[in-house]
Amino acid sequence: MEDFLYFFSFQDSSIAFIVLGITILGIGSAYVGTFSFLDNKALLGDAISHSVLPGICLGFLLAGEKNPLYIVGGAIISGSAATFLTSWLKSNTKLSEDSIIATVLSTFFGFGIVLLTVIQKTGNPEMAGLNQFIFGNAIGILEEDLWVYGGLSLIIILSLSLLMKEFSLLVFNQEFGRAIGYPMDFIRLVFNILMILSVVIGIQAIGVVLMAALLITPGAAARFWTDRLSTLLILAGLFAVISGITGTYISFVLPKMPTGPWVVVCLSFLALISFLFAPKKGILFRYISRRKYLRKTHRDHVLKSLFKATEEGKKGLNKNELLSLYPHHKKETLGSISYLLKHNQLNNIQGLIELSESGKTEAKRIVRLHRLWESYLNEYMNIAPDHVHDSAEKLEHLITPELEELLDNRLRYPKLDPHQENIPRDHDDI
Amino acid sequence: MMTFDQNAFLIISTASMIAISCGLLGVFMMLRKMSMTGDAISHAVLPGIVIGYFISGSQRGVEVIIGAGLLGILATLIIDFLRKKAKVQLDASIGITFTLLFAIGIILINLLAYKVDLDQECVLYGEIAYLPIDLWITNSGFSMGPRITWLALLNLLLVGSFIFLLFKELKLTSFDEGFGMVMGIPAGAINLALMSMVSYTTVSSFDAVGAILVVALLVVPPATAFLWTKDIKSLIKLTIGIGIGISVLGYYLAFLADSSIAGMMVTVGGAVFLISAVLTSKKFKFRLGTQSNQEAFNS
Amino acid sequence: MIKQVENPLLEIHDLTVSYDQSPVLWNIDFSLPEGKLIGILGPNGAGKSTLIKAIMGLVEPTGGYVKIFNKDLDQVRNRISYVPQRESVDWNFPASVLDVVMMGTYGRLGLFKRPGKKEKDLAFSSLEKVGMTAFAKRQISELSGGQQQRVFIARALAQEADLYLMDEPFAGVDMATETAIFQLLQEMTKEGKTVIVVHHDIHSAMTYFEWIIMLNLHLVASGPKSDVVNEDLLRKTYGGKLNLLTKVTEIIRQQEFNPLKN
Repeated sequence: MEDFLYFFSFQDSSIAFIVLGITILGIGSAYVGTFSFLDNKALLGDAISHSVLPGICLGFLLAGEKNPLYIVGGAIISGSAATFLTSWLKSNTKLSEDSIIATVLSTFFGFGIVLLTVIQKTGNPEMAGLNQFIFGNAIGILEEDLWVYGGLSLIIILSLSLLMKEFSLLVFNQEFGRAIGYPMDFIRLVFNILMILSVVIGIQAIGVVLMAALLITPGAAARFWTDRLSTLLILAGLFAVISGITGTYISFVLPKMPTGPWVVVCLSFLALISFLFAPKKGILFRYISRRKYLRKTHRDHVLKSLFKATEEGKKGLNKNELLSLYPHHKKETLGSISYLLKHNQLNNIQGLIELSESGKTEAKRIVRLHRLWESYLNEYMNIAPDHVHDSAEKLEHLITPELEELLDNRLRYPKLDPHQENIPRDHDDI
Repeated sequence: MMTFDQNAFLIISTASMIAISCGLLGVFMMLRKMSMTGDAISHAVLPGIVIGYFISGSQRGVEVIIGAGLLGILATLIIDFLRKKAKVQLDASIGITFTLLFAIGIILINLLAYKVDLDQECVLYGEIAYLPIDLWITNSGFSMGPRITWLALLNLLLVGSFIFLLFKELKLTSFDEGFGMVMGIPAGAINLALMSMVSYTTVSSFDAVGAILVVALLVVPPATAFLWTKDIKSLIKLTIGIGIGISVLGYYLAFLADSSIAGMMVTVGGAVFLISAVLTSKKFKFRLGTQSNQEAFNS
Repeated sequence: MIKQVENPLLEIHDLTVSYDQSPVLWNIDFSLPEGKLIGILGPNGAGKSTLIKAIMGLVEPTGGYVKIFNKDLDQVRNRISYVPQRESVDWNFPASVLDVVMMGTYGRLGLFKRPGKKEKDLAFSSLEKVGMTAFAKRQISELSGGQQQRVFIARALAQEADLYLMDEPFAGVDMATETAIFQLLQEMTKEGKTVIVVHHDIHSAMTYFEWIIMLNLHLVASGPKSDVVNEDLLRKTYGGKLNLLTKVTEIIRQQEFNPLKN
């Protein structure tokens, strides 16, 4: 508890500084990653992250110490080499894209491991810091490093904001962009550079192996909440920042733990919540929607049955008769009846359940839609009368008044359906 | 004259066996455009491995294999769930799943460090150099040789039989899955079996080359071979040849540079791939396989 | 005009299929006779491929059923052959023409067995029927469109089936190949086989097929060509999607789940 307060009160300026740094880092990576995700190139980020390792090691070897400029420089060079190689292989060989990405990813990384183990053997004490690039160590980021990485992140955020239009074209409608004269290849190049930069800064917190998560997961999670690009980016940034800070906090409390895995776990948790609970697209929401819909359709069926009873000359049906119409849905039927009673579409008159005035109008509407649709299927789609019922049974709940008007018009206001049953109109009783 | 270095021989032959097992499976992963899924599986099995180590104590036994197998299946299920129920696109589903599972694995390694002597870096690139001293000692005290070598041999036999027995089914479902399904070939089961073999091979090769470098062995030799030939039997033979070649070269170069053997094997593989890509590109034209001009078949 | 058949080879009953929450086939109902060359026509997006896939069990219908030889698909798989669209495979795959044609024999071989001389002979005789014996060892990546199509058909022939379903076998193919394939299909029907072909061109359809099915998300017609090809029915097929149907499909698509599923 003490640790929690100490950490989050930001009394310690170095912690405050790191949290600030992680925030900026997270936003930069999430922004770039989201575009990449929308472009269906999520795994390219994975390849780039793995491929910067040799560059980092080379930078270290040249500088003899963990000099951020050398390290960033090295990372940019090897990241660029990997990106270039990937496109070259795509244009010049018949290998499939996934094969190319996996090859580039693993060979660059393997080479990086070679350099890493060579450095380990030299016994240079500085080298301990290099391991942080593999799994991330937010607390291990030095203040002076943070200036460099923070600066890069700001460059990324600024570029993305300025070039939002161009990148949107790149991701959503490349051909159109080309057609209206935008230099799409150059824009792609700029994007790739920003991606490499974001990898370089992101791996401080999350490490090379798990960097893909920082690129992919925020965007994927945010996608569940919105369809608008600007909101998407803000949410993705938010998820990344929350996860980054959580990971940093845990690193602070448990110094032996690398930051990276905790950031990933937090991101995945946020993603899970998004998948489950987001309105409209979330699974829970869809489930509830479906249940609501099924309840409504069952109510519609009850109304229809009562209407058909009146067509047969009965005033209504008693509860048992209604229940027997839907043998395995006793609970649903009882629920429908009580809902309709409460909303005054049904009246319970001495045990006999009857349609009220509004109930009758609604029942007629549904039956009308059902029989109109059956007529349409029969007349316009050549479907035999004994095959039209199922489709109508499903669609009677969905047809809008506008569609009803179109149907009626097309069919020229028919009186009878394919089963020779009357199509009920509102003015029938007059 | 060089004396026969038994250790070198052991290491190189073990590495070759691992490279061959991975390469054989990798050929079909490549043809099914599932190279990145192979990457995902080899990362995803980590928690299973750690839990297996934890349960079995210091004896690395069957629990590890079972743990990994279960996790390989779990990973495939999660990816499927994300795609179908949560409607996330395929590449993102793969990325989210394997990073999560791998992260959990790393956390477990740290949390369970008191009982599990896995080290973070070892997870990445293994250490096959220790192979000769990690011996399999039977209950009667007899040394059967390096444990990892036996594991690799078993793995190779299983992978070899799998490919041999199901060769035509693998070929067919990799080329035209729909056609296979219509004929009644259990395409789904075959796919699952292939994924399981990849999980198993990852675990088996884990100690020697680490989780991440298994991917390189799965992907790079087949990709290199595919640059040179379009005949599936030659493809397989060439993959095997390349696997052995990079094991030999990798070992000796690692010795010279004093670096990780697995890392060097992959680097050599990468270099061979790169050279092949340049040589077989449209500019040069060294190609094996059938000729382009009219030629009567020979039986 | 929908002509039903007694003792049909293929019976489609009230078949409804949705793709991604969009209904693509509405209550399709027809039966087909044996031993004829049958064409399925319709505009793009009419559901022709979907119909073939539903017959082959590659997509699940949301309603209705399919009966072949009066049995369920699973009982008669070895009597049916499928020629998918050419674009459905990657022709860069490392296989020779002979390799691909041999794949047609795998169904009868069973798991674990290796193809032997019998299968090889069958493959060669299939290659002969499509005029591709000289190409047996050629890599499929080196083939032209027409040659690829012939290989697919040879593969189907190697299945030795009674019913053949082909998805756009004449698409993007040169005249010589088209004529050759058509002749082959005619010979097959003379031998008593039934061949159902998804086709894209009305004019050649008139020459090739004896029985024509016209599809436009719903069944417009099914019957002998002389009965079916008239201006009215052609207009119903090619004259654009039914406006109401499109609107209803839109409503269905906008729901958060598929309301047509049970």
